[in-house]
Amino acid sequence: MTSSLRTASLSRRGFLGLGGGIAAMGALAACGGTSGSGGAGKLQLVGVADQQKAVEQLVNAYGKAEFEVSFAPTDQVQTSVRTRLGAGNAPDVHVVYPGNGSAMSMVQISAAGLLADLSDQPWVKRIPSTLKPAFQNDGKTYVYSAGSSVIGAVYNKKVFQDAGVEPPTTWSGFLDVCEKIKAEGTTPIALGAQTPWVTQLITYALVPSTVYAKNPRFDEQMKAGSASFADSGWAEALEMYLELQKRGFFNDNPNGTTFEQQTAMVATGKAAMAIQVSAVLPDFRKQAAAEDALGMFPVPGADDEKNCWIPAGVTVGLGVSARSKNLDEAKAFLAFLGEQKNMNAWAEAVACIPLTRDASSKVDPVLEPFLPFIDGGKAVPFMDQAWPNAEIQPAHFAAVQELLGGRTTIPEALAGLDEIYRKKS
Amino acid sequence: MTSTIGSATATKGAAPGPGAAARRRRRGRRFLTPPWWFAAPALAVYALVVLYPALAGMVYAFTDWNGLGERNFVGLDNFSRLFGDESARGSLLNTLLLTVAIVLVQNGIGLLLALGVHTRIKSRSVLRVVFFAPAVVSPVMVAFLWKYIYNPAPDAGLNGILGAVGLGGLRQDWLGDPGLALWSVAGMVIWQFAGYSMVIFLAGLEGVPAELHEAAMIDGAGRWQRFRHVTWPLLAPAVTINLMLSTIGGLKLFDQVYAATNGGPGYASETLSTVLYKQAFVFGNFGYSTAIALVLALFVAAVSMVQVYYLRGREVSG
Repeated sequence: MTSSLRTASLSRRGFLGLGGGIAAMGALAACGGTSGSGGAGKLQLVGVADQQKAVEQLVNAYGKAEFEVSFAPTDQVQTSVRTRLGAGNAPDVHVVYPGNGSAMSMVQISAAGLLADLSDQPWVKRIPSTLKPAFQNDGKTYVYSAGSSVIGAVYNKKVFQDAGVEPPTTWSGFLDVCEKIKAEGTTPIALGAQTPWVTQLITYALVPSTVYAKNPRFDEQMKAGSASFADSGWAEALEMYLELQKRGFFNDNPNGTTFEQQTAMVATGKAAMAIQVSAVLPDFRKQAAAEDALGMFPVPGADDEKNCWIPAGVTVGLGVSARSKNLDEAKAFLAFLGEQKNMNAWAEAVACIPLTRDASSKVDPVLEPFLPFIDGGKAVPFMDQAWPNAEIQPAHFAAVQELLGGRTTIPEALAGLDEIYRKKS
Repeated sequence: MTSTIGSATATKGAAPGPGAAARRRRRGRRFLTPPWWFAAPALAVYALVVLYPALAGMVYAFTDWNGLGERNFVGLDNFSRLFGDESARGSLLNTLLLTVAIVLVQNGIGLLLALGVHTRIKSRSVLRVVFFAPAVVSPVMVAFLWKYIYNPAPDAGLNGILGAVGLGGLRQDWLGDPGLALWSVAGMVIWQFAGYSMVIFLAGLEGVPAELHEAAMIDGAGRWQRFRHVTWPLLAPAVTINLMLSTIGGLKLFDQVYAATNGGPGYASETLSTVLYKQAFVFGNFGYSTAIALVLALFVAAVSMVQVYYLRGREVSG
């Protein structure tokens, strides 16, 4: 293998000299190159795959600017857009996750001074006060979003009918429903915990009732260091999560089951329901027998109906690069997206509940049961949107997988989350 | 891995003397070596695309850069953090376990396959293609395929097959059991690349002169003795290449782990590569992840050098 090197007449010194010279040339060439976002007039927009339908529709409706639009799946957007942000050639308009808690979230990027301030846009005045933390950092608005997604139980209506059960409104009622379905020989809850992001949804569905219904100021206290995951309703929520497992309400081997298998189980009636985010309803419907075969209800996380709250996370949105060469055109496009009729169109395309509603707003009928919670101030943003760094969420995924696999205990898991929360971000 | 030179030289005579080597070098100079600047365009591209960014990127290992804002030099902080980081240590152990399993099993199977298709069976060319085929598929595609095979439901995939042949008791939660996930990933990688090792072994087998086998047969050597004393010593270069490639591949393993388990369940199948990916692109700790990458690169280089040194020592010329 190396014999060819031995006979080659290029000495090591010659080779290194050659390599060094070439590298230096390369470096010079790289310095001379120009980089930046699109030529004037053409707006570059990079979105995440979940937004594709909405963005394409509204870009076509806008008509006042030329666009260069591309989309990538969630994890690739995290890498590619962030890399471009770091290199100083971000697209004019790009995907931004509301609140904090991920590497592409509004707080993290605006803290680096890379997002344009949108505070003076008309739609900003309509942001409901409970949702402001998702849009604003230090009182300035940096991200546009069309509405909220909710987490609840996506259920197969036929399985519920056959078991003679109705969507429950209390936790003990929820356990009864699962028990009855299990007695029928059907898996009550499909759980695809092999797909990391699926692990968090049951915790998120319960924490609003076990934590925020009793203590709406929990996030502030966490930031101030006067509260912790370990000594809060988080422990209760995880106990409830594991109770579902103990009672045999999940499919076997949730840690080996994927999101795709989870959706198939509910759509085909092998399982009665899955606790999921409304944004993936289209995935469930694709496999279901009929368009209206599935329903959705809020997961009641408490035995007192007054204390049942729900998670409603502001859905992934768009921001404008602070360094955009087409700043005004890009901001004008976001102002256009903020008009009520366009918010309605976007929300309809991604099956979320519009940020503000008027007579023409269409909400997916499946989401009707959630509206009283949202309008009654009993909805809280997804927990990670208030977290100070991007490491807590993946640690939560891992903790749930380890709890399901019996590799850790609830106090141990939450102590670990607390430790990562306090890390300097 | 004991030296087998003794038995090989018995069949071939002593290694060629220094005179022969000089003759070969002269011959080589006249016919075999093109002028070195022929390689310049390729080297230029390599230097620009690989060497320069790699060297320029090393600087970040000594900073706290988060991928967006300014960077501050923090000296060796990232490295001290790495050696005190429990999850990084766990992933190092996983990486080593994976590598050992893949190197041994993949090359073992590869060698058996090579010996199998090196015989005169009728379907040998078809079999060669079939065994090699997985190696040309993208590792991520393979991982997605195997996710179906590893479906934990009792009537699906591998579990379904086990049940159908009466081995229902062996059904497993392949990717969901923390004690098993790492080995399931290893199995996937071995399935994909055993054919690749086979091809390299085959090339080595083609180079074993038939007359040596005939001579050994006349001397009354049996099948096993012929393999042990003729084939195996002359396969040494192929063994070197295979061990090197699979070791480096194993230490750098990323795509299959990321696509199949994402390092889970929990942290059970995290490797150094998945940790460094997450640190950079999920957490935004670019400085720390560059430090991990640097340590990984040095580690791979060190292991490879040690391997080459020992393996080259036992190669003989055929």
